[in-house]
Amino acid sequence: MAVSRRHPLTVLALGFVAVIWGFPTLWVLYATFASPRGGFTLGNLAEAFASAPFAQYAVNTVLIVGGLLIMQTIFGALVGFVLARYDFPGKSLITGLFLLQIVVPVYAILIQEYEIVQGLHMLNTKTGIMLPYLVSGIAVLSFRQAFRAVPRELEEAARLDGYDTIGVFLRVYLPRAVPAALAFAVISVTYHWTDFLWPLIVTNTASARPIVVGLAMVAEASESGLQWNLLAAATAIVIIPVLVVFASGTRRILSAFASTFDW
Amino acid sequence: MSTTVVSEAEPEPQPGGPAQPAPRRRRPFTVLGPYAVLALPAALVVGFVAIPIVQTAVRSFDLLGVRGQVTGFGGLSNYRALFSQPLFLISLKNTLVYAAASVVLCVVVAWLLAQLLSARFGASRPLLVSVFSPTVMPMIAAANIWLYFLAPRIGLFGQLLGAIGVHGSNLLGEPGSALGVLVALFVWKFAPYFALFIMAGLQAIPQSVREALRTEDPTGRYAFRRVVLPMLAPMLAFVTTMALLYSVETIDSVYVLTQGGPNNGTSLVMYYLYQLGFNYFSWGPAAALSALLMASLSTLSGLSLIGLERRAFHWQ
Repeated sequence: MAVSRRHPLTVLALGFVAVIWGFPTLWVLYATFASPRGGFTLGNLAEAFASAPFAQYAVNTVLIVGGLLIMQTIFGALVGFVLARYDFPGKSLITGLFLLQIVVPVYAILIQEYEIVQGLHMLNTKTGIMLPYLVSGIAVLSFRQAFRAVPRELEEAARLDGYDTIGVFLRVYLPRAVPAALAFAVISVTYHWTDFLWPLIVTNTASARPIVVGLAMVAEASESGLQWNLLAAATAIVIIPVLVVFASGTRRILSAFASTFDW
Repeated sequence: MSTTVVSEAEPEPQPGGPAQPAPRRRRPFTVLGPYAVLALPAALVVGFVAIPIVQTAVRSFDLLGVRGQVTGFGGLSNYRALFSQPLFLISLKNTLVYAAASVVLCVVVAWLLAQLLSARFGASRPLLVSVFSPTVMPMIAAANIWLYFLAPRIGLFGQLLGAIGVHGSNLLGEPGSALGVLVALFVWKFAPYFALFIMAGLQAIPQSVREALRTEDPTGRYAFRRVVLPMLAPMLAFVTTMALLYSVETIDSVYVLTQGGPNNGTSLVMYYLYQLGFNYFSWGPAAALSALLMASLSTLSGLSLIGLERRAFHWQ
């Protein structure tokens, strides 16, 4: 069914696809680094860094995304373990609660979330941005699935060796959930560092603003002030790191994406 | 929150615990029970998901004051106010057109990409990086790239058109073509991502089935319609639902490329909600629109989840 890749039409189609999806990004990178007088320049990049606190935005993004990944992983592993290995009254209700977290996106209850964070006096803080996302239903389901696949015999053997529940969890279960945890990490990091609307409405100064919101503001400013080279350079600042990471681990990252919903 | 209460009320070790209920005492986990572990995460989901859901629904029927405070029961008045706003009806129409075009084109292009790229990522790395670079970058960055490309006067797109004699064209300057740009950007950004799912689905067709098809039906048309398509149907349904969800949620590209213009031609419902709530402070209609969006987004998201619970690969 798959067409042989040596067929000339296939080669043509692949070339067309590469140009459509690759060229606009390459053009922006070219515009960033090409001097108007010919040759290579870092001038646009320096100007973009001077025009907005991108370093601050980047630090904020790392703290928000990293903090969320840590919290979601801890909660996901603990809840996933309990749901995978214990039976207790109300289990299906509690499982349903974590499913609800997946089914109802933050965008669907945006104004209420805003009012809660406002009520906690956490507007314009990194914690305020993180609060609605601290528990991830996808993490819970990923870990539950990974833990269910652990053979009972391993747990029994470890218990005979004298491990208590915490020891069994740390030594038997957690090491076997590493692939699931890594796949979840790719999903979580990608989702949260690209998130726009929620951090946009929660923040109003640079102190908590993540880089994507900062970038959108450069776009607004460039449309009014016609500072187009700044727009290209600011976009380059944001996409170069992720493109480097992606180019160095292309196939691994693509597999993680494909397993996004593979519980 | 309720789970905390339950855990205090039941101090004994939990029934039906680990496979071998341990005889030893002072094992902190079994004494406290699963409820102790679940209390905090469950409370966070109750506080930040369950309660806001109820509030979003209830608030849409309340009368709201100038600062958004509840001043009484309003019945359907918020909904009436919302549907009497011309801009809401325009946004609703724009969203329907945008979502329908985006979803159909996105699924078709994703299907073609999946066929082309082969399920084992056998393609070369530069090709993969270029095709999937929109997948790994934020929508805001993708929209910025397109803005730079389409910018009036200096944009490469206009210059290329100028070179072949078409001058002064500005795709973002006309309502129809601006909405078309948003659709194209959506397809550019998400079709490769959805192609990954379709590739996974194609790969999951057993080798024996493929070989049988090759000998039984060399042209492949009948096999495609009767075998491949039914096998991929759950995955295609999932991808379609996800594309629909993403398209209804669209706001990033509107914010960067058009701000709803020109002439409100690209005002989509999510962008309109953002304006109602955070620019116009029009709380009543915003509450009604919130409840409607909550119902539709959650339905779409729930449908995609149900599709997955069937695992999409049930023949394995």
